[in-house]
Amino acid sequence: MRRPEHRPEVKAPPRWIFPEPARWWLDNGLQILALHRPGQYIAAVSLVLDTPLSSEPSDIEGVATITQRCLDEGTATHPGPTFAERLEDIGALLSGSAGYAASDLLLEVPASRLSEALLLLAQAISEPELRASDVERHQSLRLAEIEHTMANSSNRAQVAFRQACIPGRFRASRLAGGTAATVAAIASDDVAAYHARHYRPEGATLVISGDLTNEVYHQAAAAFGGWEVQGTLGVHHQTPVSRTPHCWLIDRPGAVQADIRLGGFGIDRGDPRWADLQVATHALGGAFLSRLNRVLREEKGFTYGVHLVNSPMRDGGLLAVQSSFRTEVVPEALDLARQLLDVTGKPITTTEVLDAVNYTNGIAPLRYSTAQGVTERVSSLVGAGLSAEFVNSNALALTRVTPESATQALTELLPPDALTLVVVGDAEALREPLVAAGWPVTLKD
Amino acid sequence: MGNVASSDQLNYPIHQRTLDNGLRVVVSPDHSVPMVAVNLWYDVGSRDERPGEHGWAHLFEHLMFSGSDHVATGEHLNLLQSLGGAVNATTWFDRTNYFETLPVGALELALWMEADRLASLPSHLDETSVDTQREVVKEEKRQRYDNVPYGDAMQHLVRLVFGPDHPYGHTTIGSMVDLDAATAERAANFFRNHYRPDNAVLTLVGDVSAKEGFKRAERAFGHLPAWNRRLRPPVTSLPSLQGVPVLQVQARVPAAATWFAWRLPPRDTPDFDACELGLVALGGGQTSRLHQQLVRNLGVAAGAGASAVPLVGGNSFGLVQLRALPGADASAAIEAALTEVERLAAEGPTAAEIARAKAQYAREWLSELAALDSRADMISAYATLHSDPERVNRRLAEVEAVTLDQVAAMCAAYLQPGQRAQLDYQQEVGDAQA
Repeated sequence: MRRPEHRPEVKAPPRWIFPEPARWWLDNGLQILALHRPGQYIAAVSLVLDTPLSSEPSDIEGVATITQRCLDEGTATHPGPTFAERLEDIGALLSGSAGYAASDLLLEVPASRLSEALLLLAQAISEPELRASDVERHQSLRLAEIEHTMANSSNRAQVAFRQACIPGRFRASRLAGGTAATVAAIASDDVAAYHARHYRPEGATLVISGDLTNEVYHQAAAAFGGWEVQGTLGVHHQTPVSRTPHCWLIDRPGAVQADIRLGGFGIDRGDPRWADLQVATHALGGAFLSRLNRVLREEKGFTYGVHLVNSPMRDGGLLAVQSSFRTEVVPEALDLARQLLDVTGKPITTTEVLDAVNYTNGIAPLRYSTAQGVTERVSSLVGAGLSAEFVNSNALALTRVTPESATQALTELLPPDALTLVVVGDAEALREPLVAAGWPVTLKD
Repeated sequence: MGNVASSDQLNYPIHQRTLDNGLRVVVSPDHSVPMVAVNLWYDVGSRDERPGEHGWAHLFEHLMFSGSDHVATGEHLNLLQSLGGAVNATTWFDRTNYFETLPVGALELALWMEADRLASLPSHLDETSVDTQREVVKEEKRQRYDNVPYGDAMQHLVRLVFGPDHPYGHTTIGSMVDLDAATAERAANFFRNHYRPDNAVLTLVGDVSAKEGFKRAERAFGHLPAWNRRLRPPVTSLPSLQGVPVLQVQARVPAAATWFAWRLPPRDTPDFDACELGLVALGGGQTSRLHQQLVRNLGVAAGAGASAVPLVGGNSFGLVQLRALPGADASAAIEAALTEVERLAAEGPTAAEIARAKAQYAREWLSELAALDSRADMISAYATLHSDPERVNRRLAEVEAVTLDQVAAMCAAYLQPGQRAQLDYQQEVGDAQA
């Protein structure tokens, strides 16, 4: 057979539309969103609570996390470990996170057991036992977890970068799960009180995706219709702003690599520049041959990978070059990164815009082909104060990005002379070279 | 409930064909989204590295992106990304896989590029690209293993369980010394030996019919000759360990930690499945014996779990992991865990525990099959390692058929305390908590 010499042509992908969810409200105020994904054996359910972490009392930050972790330690109907056994009996997996803007619980279960799983989820949020012994254990486990987080170089850099970019008066400047001091101060009454005050159907959303039948509304109503709480609660979301730039060096004696974060405070999905920034971050540090990865990995071999990461919050966000480099090349790598971030003399090109848009919109059908993918996406949008409709409107907005608008967004958000830097590594080896290279680092604990 | 068949009647379509040059092609149509997963497994992994070559399979995986006859350096990944593709490759003990999931209109191009690098990669290797990717891989080693607490645990464990000269006695990342010894010429030889049509499986899952999938595979790969055909020598199974080899490591870690490890039967045999279900009962989740006893009842561990690592070459291995509470040593956790291990080996699990373990296994299995890309990877796995991609539809029934007695018998045969190896991490002096 003859060898095909010519590169095959590519046919343009069909336009992909994210399906509109079916939507209902229960009388108790709970919103239900259902998205049918035919052929999916696993159903994915998320319960999103409109409970920003700024509602935690400041001396017991982490109470939202501890509360959530105690939910599956026993309910009135299934006390103690029997609750987790009921979940595992039907092949269900319950996980969750207490995020800065919203808490969510994620349940994955074979579609054939969805109805039972919804009942168990409803019990966990409405009638958990929250025993003192469970609170104490999760408190101690959380303290251990903090030690592990801070012993990990990359996590340590992430925590410090957040703190360096967001003023301390905002909850989002600190660990979502609380610090050692605040976690240690949590009492079991605090957990019961937090649950009673903040776990309420009004303002909450239940997202269900999978191979669903017409019964899904009735299944959800049967499980959650009886969830009632007293009174109403005003929810206040903070709107963080940017700190002035900092350069921090955090010592990890003997580390063979340094983790770096270089960037600043960013924007959220509601900002008119959001699509522009998505394109710019892909071109600079998203694609495999992005400007940063091409030079720092593929040409220099300084790193396993370097990314410009755009992390939106409900309000504002973080925008940072993230990587780790062997200690001796850190100053040169940072210098190159700073030059590459400066796009004023080398604006984003038409090809870069096209590639970024084609990538982001082209990959969407894969991302949303599973129940888990759909539910996670919709619940994260709901938690950020948006709706599922954002997926389609953002896909359209991406097609309107120009090289000029992408360049402009990046120039505004990452001014090269006002970047925040966090380096976690061997301070003895790094400090002088960094200062000599023009990074006036302060040693931080 | 739901319109899908119940999970013990999985019915993903599987169409197979072998090209004249030996390339096995599997097509599994799924028209739910206009995308297709292209997944290539080469039957070469870290187990095929000889002494002095540790880390080469993985280093050379990186070189597969360094350009071929009609594709420039880095272009494979970058071009397919710019068409809306998710592209990557990974190396494991038993295989190296390359995959791209993309809009279906780019399928032909993706296959053409895969065939181009299979056909011509060795003649395009040069010392510069080997040098650069060697540095990248060394950074990967530092980032993922050397600079992470407990990051070298797996390296220690496989060495303890299999010994340094066994094919599974080292991990994919390899050693700095062996990485330094790699050259363009040695890489070219490695590729000519292992990267052959008859040593690969190509799986297509997505918006493509069987007929069209085979036609496109033939058009892209059919012209390639067969070369260096060889059969993998038969593997032998090692008996269980004796005498409890122990390694103690002093390291900069946030807490003391201990692993137990056992030699197990090869993957996807009834004996292995029975061991795996036993390990799930022992430490597979919140209701497991280790979590309940060590974390919940006794409060002697910050975490306790168990798992099995399935491997095809004669043995798999099983693990228990224990993390001490901050500032404490692991002795109380170790003692309590050994009691649970001993009890499981002596009495076996309960019927309720095994039912739960099977239910969890089913959810994990169905989740793996949910997305086009991971489903394609599973199909390639069963085609490559078991010569039977249809088994993705039968696996749940196989696991379901394992009886309580089988689990008890295999726990007694393979998971005795005296058959384990043990790895202890202790906090480096001066770094420990007061």
